[in-house]
Order: sequence, then C-alpha cells, then structure tokens
Amino acid sequence: MNQSTSTVINTILTVALRNLLAHRRRTFLTIGAIAVGLASLIFLWGFNEGLHRNMLGNFQDAIIGSIQIHHQGFFQHPELSKAIANPQKVVAALRQADVSRYSMRLESFGLAASDITTQGVMLIGMDPLREGEVTQLGKRIGIGRFLAPEDEYTIILGATTANNLQVKLGDEVVIIGYDRFGAMLAESFTLIGIITSGEMGLDKGMAITTLATLQQMVDMPDRVTTVVIGSDESRVPALTAELEAALQGERLEVMPWYAMFPVMKEWVSLHNGFLYLFLGVVLFIVLAGELNTLLISMLERTREFGVLMAIGTTGYQIAAILLVEAVVIGIVGIVSGILLGYVIVLFTGKYGIDLSILLGSTSRFYVDPLIHPHLKLDHLGITSGVILVASIFAGLYPAWRASKLQPVEAIRNG
Amino acid sequence: MGNNQDSSIIDLRNLHKCYWVGTMPFPALHGLNLEIAAGEFAVVAGRSGSGKSTLLNIVGALESADSGSVEVLGQDILGMNSDQRTQFRLRNIGFVFQAYNLVRVFTARENVAYVCQLQGKSRKESMEIANHWLHEVEIGHLGYRRPDQLSGGQQQRVAVARALASNPKLILADEPTANLDSTTGRRLIRLMHELNHRFGTTFLISSHDPDVKQAAGRLIKLADGQIVDSWDEVPEPPQSLSSSCPSSHLPLGERVRNYIKLKRQSRGGKRRGGNQRRS
Repeated sequence: MNQSTSTVINTILTVALRNLLAHRRRTFLTIGAIAVGLASLIFLWGFNEGLHRNMLGNFQDAIIGSIQIHHQGFFQHPELSKAIANPQKVVAALRQADVSRYSMRLESFGLAASDITTQGVMLIGMDPLREGEVTQLGKRIGIGRFLAPEDEYTIILGATTANNLQVKLGDEVVIIGYDRFGAMLAESFTLIGIITSGEMGLDKGMAITTLATLQQMVDMPDRVTTVVIGSDESRVPALTAELEAALQGERLEVMPWYAMFPVMKEWVSLHNGFLYLFLGVVLFIVLAGELNTLLISMLERTREFGVLMAIGTTGYQIAAILLVEAVVIGIVGIVSGILLGYVIVLFTGKYGIDLSILLGSTSRFYVDPLIHPHLKLDHLGITSGVILVASIFAGLYPAWRASKLQPVEAIRNG
Repeated sequence: MGNNQDSSIIDLRNLHKCYWVGTMPFPALHGLNLEIAAGEFAVVAGRSGSGKSTLLNIVGALESADSGSVEVLGQDILGMNSDQRTQFRLRNIGFVFQAYNLVRVFTARENVAYVCQLQGKSRKESMEIANHWLHEVEIGHLGYRRPDQLSGGQQQRVAVARALASNPKLILADEPTANLDSTTGRRLIRLMHELNHRFGTTFLISSHDPDVKQAAGRLIKLADGQIVDSWDEVPEPPQSLSSSCPSSHLPLGERVRNYIKLKRQSRGGKRRGGNQRRS
C-alpha cells in the first residue's frame, strides 16, 4: 500500500470514527442493542449447553455409561448365548486406550415374582466395586442400599416394580430366568434396595444383582455380555473409533450412548435447532436496528456527503465511510456482548440456576433442577461471526445509497 | 486582475440545460456561450432562476448539460464519467458554497486538510498546507475550532481556505456572501479578490450581491439562461420549448409513465367506443 492510499484510508477511518463519536447516544444505543442481543444468545447457548450436559451426564451416569461393548447383535436381541467370547481382549484394548473407568455386566431377561404377582424384568448382574466408577446408580437408591461385593442372592428393584410386586426391604423375590440353552431357572433373592430415581427407565422393569450371583445362577462363570465404559463426552466419538479399530475381527459391537439411544441426541439437536431459530430472530433485530441507525445517519448527512463528493470524494469512499461505521459498531457491539455474555455465563455457571420452582419432576428427563450454564467456543464463534456478518450487511444498503448520491441533488435537498 | 489572462480556462459553446418536474420542462440554460480566461475574477449575476447555479454546476463537473460543449482547462467535461469528474474536481477545482458546508465533525484545520489528504498528501503535509491557507484567510488562530464554534464569516473563510488548499486553477463560488452580513460579505469578497491577484487563481462567482458585482473584474449578466449585454435587454425567448427542452431529454422514468398513460387513454377510448356500439 503506498502512502497516498494509506492517507486516504486513514482519512476515511477518521471521518467514520468522528461521526460515530459525534452521535454518541445513537452509536452506543446501537452498540448496546447488539451487545445485549449477543449476550442473551451467549447466555441461552450456555444454559442450553449446561442443560444438555446435565441431562446427558445423568442419562449416562444412571445406567448406560458412555460406551458399551457387546457381542455383535446383542443390543438388538439380548440373549445369553451372545456373551462376549473373550472379555480379557476387551480389557486389554481398554488399557491400551488408557480407559480406567469400565465395568462388566451380565444381562438377561426374566420374571420377578412375589407372593402376590409377577413382573417382567431386565436382569442385570453388576460388579459392585467397578460399577461405581462408571455409573451413579448407587446414588439413586432411595430405600435400602446398593450391592456389596460379598452379597449373594440379594437384589435391587425399581420403585415401580417393587410397588407392583408389593414387596419391601428384606422380602423374598423369586427370579425366574433362562440359561444360555433356554432351560428355565428359578432362584430366591432378598430385596436389599429400591431405586427411587423418578426416571421412567430405572424405576420400572429392572432387577439388579451382583455379577457373581447372576453368573452362578445362569451357570456362566466368568462370562459377561456387556462392558460399560465411562468417558468424557468430548472423547466419546474418538474413543469409540479407537476401540472399534482395536477390537476389529472380534465380532463385537462398540456402541456410544447416542447409537444406543439416538432419540437423546436428536432431542439435543432439536433443542439446538430452536436456538438457531432464535439466533435468526436476534439477527433480524440486530440487522434492522443497525440498518435503521445507519440509514438515519446517512440521510442526516446527505448534504455533507454531497459536499464531500463535490470536493473530490468518490462514491466508493463515501460507501467506505458508512461501511467502516457499520463494522466498528458491529465489532464493538460483539466484543461488549461477548464480555457481558461471558460474565453472565461464568456467574450462573458457578452458582447454577435453580429451576425447581418452575419445573415439576425434571428428573423424569434425567435433568437436575440446578442447571450450570457452560459456554462452548464453537457456539460463541458461530454466533459472533454471524452477528458480525449481519452488521456488515446492515451497512451495505446505506453505503450503496450514499455512493449513488448526486452531489448537486444531495447539497440542494440534504 | 490576475497574472495570466492569455489562455482560456473555461469555454462553453451553445450550452443547453433543462430541468424536468414530472413531464413539465423548465429550461435553465439556452444556447449559452461563454469564455473565461485564466486569472479572471468573473462574477455571474442575475435574478433567482436565471441559471447562475446551473452554470457553475456544469462548469464544476457536478452536473451534465443536455447539449453543447463544455471545456474546462482544456478538458471536455461532458465526455467524462462520474469517477473522472470526481478526480477532475479534486485536482483542478475549488468550491465555495453559499451555506459554507463544512464537515461538522472536523476542526477548521481538518476541513481544509481533507482535500489535501484525498489528493494523497500525508497528514503532516496536509496540516501544514491547511495552516498556511488558514493564515492566508486571516483565521490561522482558529484552526482547532469546529464549524459550530465559528461565525458565518469565519466558516466561509474556512471554506475559501479549503477551496484553495488543493491548489486548484479555478474556484467556483456559488452565492458566497448570501448568508453573511454586508460587512462580512464585503471583507470576504475583498479577500477573494486579493487571493485572485496574488495567486492568479481564476474565480467564477455567482451572486446578486451588489458588492460582489462591484468587485467583479468581469460581470457576466445572465437572464433566462442566456447572457445579456445589459439588464434592459430582454433575451430572445426559445422559439419553442422543444428546441431547448427536447422530449428526448425527458428522464426515462417519465417517458415510461407517459407511454403507459397514453396506452391507457387509447384503451379507454376503444372500450368506450365498444360500449356505445352495444347500446
């Protein structure tokens, strides 16, 4: 860039900035509108993200974990004949992938029977020590206690199941099941805990005992059907791919939570979709507000622009003045909005937003009533970028109109 | 009178300009011929509506003529596109407007320096030039003030300094004293006259102010878009409006509207005729 070009650019910048400062109130109101709009969006994204993290975290913590490994086809058709052939290979792959949070389970179906009635249940044999590292099922036991390693033929039922069977702690519950060959089995268990989570999937149709007890009952010592893995949400896709690669040829399925329960991921996408709609509305407001400001500013200065054109300013330079004003308003508004939004998310993220007054049983949807907003950088980047583009767009029309002014008309009628 | 009056700086031949309000034509200039030599201090005088401002706007490449030829500094203005005209104005012409028209957000010095910066001079050099010209117009001490902190006369001096700062060969001043009291107006004209003498810059001023006319090195009398020798002379009216305002110069939008109107009228006539036959 030669000196004369940089001088002209500096001059255009000076005119634009001076004009913004000359109309401080109008400028700051427009900047304020952008900042508040962006801060609201940032807060909403943060709240949304906090809600999703909370919900998905609880969902995974409840019982399914982040990733599960089964024999191929087990998830669709769970049968004991589809046990994992070589669990030690899975453990070796997990160690290689630096995964320490995992647990083994044996899963089947059966009938739970009391003196009064029977109820279909999913039978789960869990390792009481390792399970706590992957899920938080123990925390959802409202009555009684969780399994202990030394337990034998003890059982935990969901509250709805226990209620249907009309059993209480210490009562005998008979579990009728099948072994891997389809032969019927029946064993008596003592009820030691009742899950009172409020979550539909946990409170109904679940009977949990120790892994060793179930292995003994179905005569499958050391066999498991499921390996449940706990992982940070951000690592789940990569870890899934890594484990799939490590266990290739073993006839195993490596399923992240969203492959097992896609509806949860779709719900999150839908929720994000609503926010994108809201982003569109805010964008429209920002665009209309800034367009209005710049158009008024342009109309007010029609005579001035006419004079500037008469004394040698080109239409492009006039357009550049208005575009610089639009960009400056946009950038200052965005920086202020990011700061304001970040502070709000930081504060509410630290102390949480208690929705217990507004919502009834949020636990039904795996949501704690205390939401901690959390900001994701990609949401921040997309929102800020889109608002910056909208600000520039808002400047295009007034800039184009100003560049097309005829000096004489502008001076006469401005 | 200036130092160099040998060469012609403005040469206008058979100039026609017409304004349209809807389909109504208003002839502003009608076959005007004018030559101004370099260094002249010429004043165009005439009543309101006589075509003074139109003449200055055309010479200043701010407006087009309908027909005729316009040569300023040897260049054909009418053949230039918008950008070429802007550059021509920036390099060759200084403007002084009736209403001063300074940039409100700039100080007096910045207003004057603006054109120099547009010409590509550095900010420092532009400011030095601005200081020089503000001193020349005797308000060097007011350079830091913004237009709203200056009187009308002071603002017009800033405007004169701005017009001179780009080192133009021609300064066009449209009613420069119209917004000033008579004492301030006289002072301004004296100043412009002096600058014309000292620097040889050509001044073409439009005015109906008697003081300005009195100071004129050459008085150009304009009446109904034509130059007259004396105010008693009644200019020859155009033989018909179509000679000075041919309909081919009607703005395109108006021509389209006229066409649609005529079409509708003819359709309406046919329809009425049909009804009559039926009845």
